[in-house]
Amino acid sequence: MKKAFTILAIIASVLAIIFAVLPISNLTVLPAISALIFGAIAFYLSKKMGEVKKIIQFSFILTSLALAISTYKAFFTKTEVANTEVLDAKETQFEEEAIDELEGLDIDTTENTDATIGQ
Amino acid sequence: MMRTSFLFIFSILIITSVTAQNNAISKAEKLTYTASYNMSGILTDIAQVSMETNEVKTSKSTLLRLKCTAVTYSKWDNFFKIRDLYESYVNPNTLTPYLYNRDVNEGSYFKNMKYTFSNNTVKSVMKKKKDYVENNTLTIHSGTKDIVSTLYYMRLLDFKKMSVGSQKSFTILFDNEEIKGMFTYLGKETIGTAIGKKECYKLAIGTSEKNVLQGKNNNLLWLTADENKIIVYGKFKIPVGTGELKIKSASGLKN
Repeated sequence: MKKAFTILAIIASVLAIIFAVLPISNLTVLPAISALIFGAIAFYLSKKMGEVKKIIQFSFILTSLALAISTYKAFFTKTEVANTEVLDAKETQFEEEAIDELEGLDIDTTENTDATIGQ
Repeated sequence: MMRTSFLFIFSILIITSVTAQNNAISKAEKLTYTASYNMSGILTDIAQVSMETNEVKTSKSTLLRLKCTAVTYSKWDNFFKIRDLYESYVNPNTLTPYLYNRDVNEGSYFKNMKYTFSNNTVKSVMKKKKDYVENNTLTIHSGTKDIVSTLYYMRLLDFKKMSVGSQKSFTILFDNEEIKGMFTYLGKETIGTAIGKKECYKLAIGTSEKNVLQGKNNNLLWLTADENKIIVYGKFKIPVGTGELKIKSASGLKN
């Protein structure tokens, strides 16, 4: 039982670290809470048996580190778009090409609305 | 991921008929949204979605260009970069499409799809990487639109005349296939948004395409219950969680 919770705590804390360094860092809290719960149970069981393994403490350190990284990212990482130059150029190019194509079409902008409805 | 982005775009659309005239969409409108992933109540912002309009003049006519872009936030660019562009050139009064262009750049995936509408016939050109080009001529049903014009067309609907629970169907042309969909009017609801507290028309969207939108009333849209009828919020069921579309800013509105 103690071993199972220790393994679960380690897995959850590693997951927390992975989440923390990825753009999904605000999801870190989910594995982090799991790691803390599993770690606490493993720690309690270990203490009851009189032998607390270092690996449990290690999982706590990993979890704390993951939470620290995700908290930092939550406050200091800006959510913004960048590198849109290619897209901007494409928008202009497409509009120019579209105008050329539209010139060749028979367009009647005075038409009445078409329709497509089903009730 | 491609399907997910399609889901996003597709999910925010609807259609019907009605002899509608455009009194909702201006020729210089810009709406900006944040697309997020919601897992256990924790939101992760993924991309910025923009919907813009501008006037396009040819020697014979003046058309409205409807443009939608999806761009991943910079923190995602190193993992999965999305630069999608959807545009439709339409009749400014009726939003009947004449030309549609879809340019998808998602990670290493690229696809460009162009439709030229002429009555019930559509000339389709599909391009993929490595100079792959496929030309098709398609016959469509009357009233079938592309995804972008359909999305805007729903704003011409008169929701005031609709009763709660009433349903409308629509057909869009996507990937050379006509896809039938339906929306249900669920009534009015007031929600808080980045542009203020808004009274909205709440709609549920469904489609015949099982892979696109799942579940009953799991895909919802909120449109402002004013003359502009802009989309301010969308909620979509996706595997493991929900997707959300929230308005960030709106400018150049007609009313």
